Amino acid sequence: MSSTAADMRRDVPQAAGGAGDDIAVRFSGVAKRFGDVVALNDVSLAIRRGELMTLLGPSGCGKTTLLNLVAGFFSPDAGQVLIGDELVNNVATYKREIGMMFQNYALFPHMTVAANVGYGLKMRRLPRADIERRVGDVLALVKLAGLQERKPRQLSGGQQQRVALARALVINPRVLLLDEPFSALDKNLRASMQVELREIQRTLGVTTIFVTHDQSEALSLSDRIAVMLEGRVRQVGAPAEIYAQPCERFVASFVGDANVLRGRLDRVAGGEAIVALGDARVKVSAVPLTGLASAAAVDLFVRPEQMQVSDAPGPCASVGTVAAQIYQGGHVDLYLDSVDSVSGRLLVRLPGHEAMTRWPIGARVNISFDRDTAVAFPA
Amino acid sequence: MPRSSFQRLLDIGGTLVVLAILGFLLLPAIVVTLAAFNDKALLSFPPQALSLRWFAKAIAYDDFREGFGNGLIVTIWSSTIALIVGATFAFALDRYQFRLKAAIEGILLSPLVVPHFTVGLGFLILAAQIGLMRGYTIVVVCHVILVLPFVLRSVYVSLRNLDRRLELAASSLGAPPHLVLATITLPLLLPGLVSGWLFAAILSFNEFTASLFVTAQRTQTLPVAMYNYVREYADPSMAAISVMYIVATAALLTFANAFLGLGKVLNVEHGR
Amino acid sequence: MCARDHVGATVKTQPFLRSFVTPAALCALAFLIAMAAVLQYSLRAYIPGSLDPGGLTLANFTALLKPLYAQVFLNTVWICFLTASYTLIVGYPLAYALVHVRNRFAKSAILITVVTPLFLGEVVRTYSWIIVLGNNGFINSILLQLGIIETPFQFMFTRFGVVVALVHVTMPVMVIMLAAALSHIDRDYLEAAESLGAGRIRAFATVTLPLSMPGIIAGVTTSFAWTFSAFATPQLIGGGQVNMISNLVYQLGFASFNFPFAASLCVAGLALTLAVLSLLRLATRPLEKMGPH
Repeated sequence: MSSTAADMRRDVPQAAGGAGDDIAVRFSGVAKRFGDVVALNDVSLAIRRGELMTLLGPSGCGKTTLLNLVAGFFSPDAGQVLIGDELVNNVATYKREIGMMFQNYALFPHMTVAANVGYGLKMRRLPRADIERRVGDVLALVKLAGLQERKPRQLSGGQQQRVALARALVINPRVLLLDEPFSALDKNLRASMQVELREIQRTLGVTTIFVTHDQSEALSLSDRIAVMLEGRVRQVGAPAEIYAQPCERFVASFVGDANVLRGRLDRVAGGEAIVALGDARVKVSAVPLTGLASAAAVDLFVRPEQMQVSDAPGPCASVGTVAAQIYQGGHVDLYLDSVDSVSGRLLVRLPGHEAMTRWPIGARVNISFDRDTAVAFPA
Repeated sequence: MPRSSFQRLLDIGGTLVVLAILGFLLLPAIVVTLAAFNDKALLSFPPQALSLRWFAKAIAYDDFREGFGNGLIVTIWSSTIALIVGATFAFALDRYQFRLKAAIEGILLSPLVVPHFTVGLGFLILAAQIGLMRGYTIVVVCHVILVLPFVLRSVYVSLRNLDRRLELAASSLGAPPHLVLATITLPLLLPGLVSGWLFAAILSFNEFTASLFVTAQRTQTLPVAMYNYVREYADPSMAAISVMYIVATAALLTFANAFLGLGKVLNVEHGR
Repeated sequence: MCARDHVGATVKTQPFLRSFVTPAALCALAFLIAMAAVLQYSLRAYIPGSLDPGGLTLANFTALLKPLYAQVFLNTVWICFLTASYTLIVGYPLAYALVHVRNRFAKSAILITVVTPLFLGEVVRTYSWIIVLGNNGFINSILLQLGIIETPFQFMFTRFGVVVALVHVTMPVMVIMLAAALSHIDRDYLEAAESLGAGRIRAFATVTLPLSMPGIIAGVTTSFAWTFSAFATPQLIGGGQVNMISNLVYQLGFASFNFPFAASLCVAGLALTLAVLSLLRLATRPLEKMGPH
């Protein structure tokens, strides 16, 4: 198994242009429209060799279009798409050396598993014996050894997905493209397939572009995430960075759960700003608040696990009444009614299960939060 | 009257009406079968004695034999040509943008509304002008035009139902366009192609009105030979050959239904 | 966003385009030339005793205005109208049964029974109806033997006989088109109507019938066009007593070799079909609005 992985690992050539040039796929200034609909608007993005980059966004944001541009199903209207050093704007799909896994897997229904997986190798005119060996190896890698002669319709959803993955990997693609691959699986299977995919991707070191609209999937799988909206990339960064330092309202609200509270800008000092909320003074990045006058209204975004509740009297950010308790096993979600929340509700996530008895429904609580973990945007 | 028994009456009434209509559809086939096995030359019901002599006579009749042979030649050529022309054009219609697309499609579908005698007369005049009167060519060309709309529809519907992501997957795996076509598109279209060919063949073999215009004595097809026979003779050989016709057609259709799903294929003719 | 829409919107290359369109374009051209030949002949003079036409003239079309020919035109349209109406009335219950019957075997049986006549060809069907309707035919023999009638009913050489056989011809296509429309009506609508207290007849009249209107229009239109095209049926069952345009065209072409006049009949007939069909469309437009569109 480890030897298989070694066989299949792409020898990463040392980039000629210097250390900073280890880029597998690059978009620069890419634009694409379909009729009157602008699908992509001046997108620039670099995907590093060996990383798993997730394109995350709501439907219609252009993430699938971006993926299809790498696949070569159509050309950009403007800008450049490069795979490695090669400009591929007008290179036909079949010459691109890519591997793609489709949302519905797109397994060839009239071929066996072996023929499906071996299809790309056959197109490369490999000797039959080589094809058989490599198909066997890759099926072992995805834990489907021995199913060569089955037809796709005789396989379960999870097995079909493994075949699709094996088929895309066996040709040693320069880039692996995954188009919402887990959307058709049920929740339990999805989680285990995600772990497995991540393992295989790490082992082989294959550059991967992953398209999803599921933010938790993106957070748990990615090396980096590009959050997209309305044909533009809004923020690129590691999952923790996207989660902790969203650069705009959309990213803050789309990725992870967030409470939005009404605050007031106290002062700006250097790169930092202080936001006042009740008795609390919260330090946030000043970048999104540039140009705002003192005392201007701002919306403070706070993650549920960064909030605390207490019944001890004293200074606090806000007060609320417990409206609902949801037991989640490892933690408890408390829903509070609070006038400071933009939606009227706040979600507080408390570890353990003590909160169930400690904060009964109807209890009045003081709310405070960890300093320096919030972000603020103009209201 | 209580509602439930009224409903039941409605059900029974409906069933009877449907059976009566099916009877109307089947009546000619039943009657012609009775006539074919009737020993007497004159039509009489019910038959007094049964015999196979009319079948023997029909099979031995030269015009029927030649008509059958001519019909086969014309049918195989025209349905095969129509399949190739129709399938390739359906593909272009589904995938591509090109000049005169709508015009060519409209012209090729128009034989569905242009009366066959007009089509026949047109090709007859054409044949006379370019000196193709006596050969199979003009008959085949005429039949190709007449069955093309059916092939076009049948293949087009199959193409629409084809998941294009399969072709994209194949090209992402390194298959150039001609191999995508050969290894993915064609095998998956096969049922549509077979049914398209089959319907074209049945329609061509049975085509009468236009054939009457474009065939010569030497190239006359079976329906034309049968028409000429009915005009001159009144014995039940014609019933015998009709029975063979009905049995062969019903068998082909049952086969088509079992293997290709007739219901699916026939949605084809709707919504033109 | 589905891949198909994207690809359909901007195809980068169109492999095989030329080789895939050329054969079809040639066929279309051949058909156009054949139709042009008819049009051209219709404007040429008839030279008795010669197969070649004479100079340009409108005489063929003015001759069509004679009462004899006008009568044939009217007769043809009337037969087409009768056939389409009867086919609709008889075909609707069958289409309804085809869509709503649960039993798979019964469904297949209905389908085969309906479809087989479509593929039998006009000659076999017409001959079969001659044996059914003839003076010594099936119906008359039975009725005579049962003593219900004393002299045979005259079905042959009557418009009634022709229309009965033509209804049989156009039934398959009518049923298929109606069934296609009916099968696309959501059963939920019907259940909703019934749950709101409408009886089955009311539900049918207020939901099913209006929603199947597109199918009815398509079926009637096609049935009309097919009847217009029929030749063997009026020729053999009508036996010269019931004449349609097709019979006249054949007679002029093969008995008098007057191809120019036959061509002008074809042109006028085609114009008439198109006129009637567009009138039908126009007249049924308010009805179609009742449907789902």
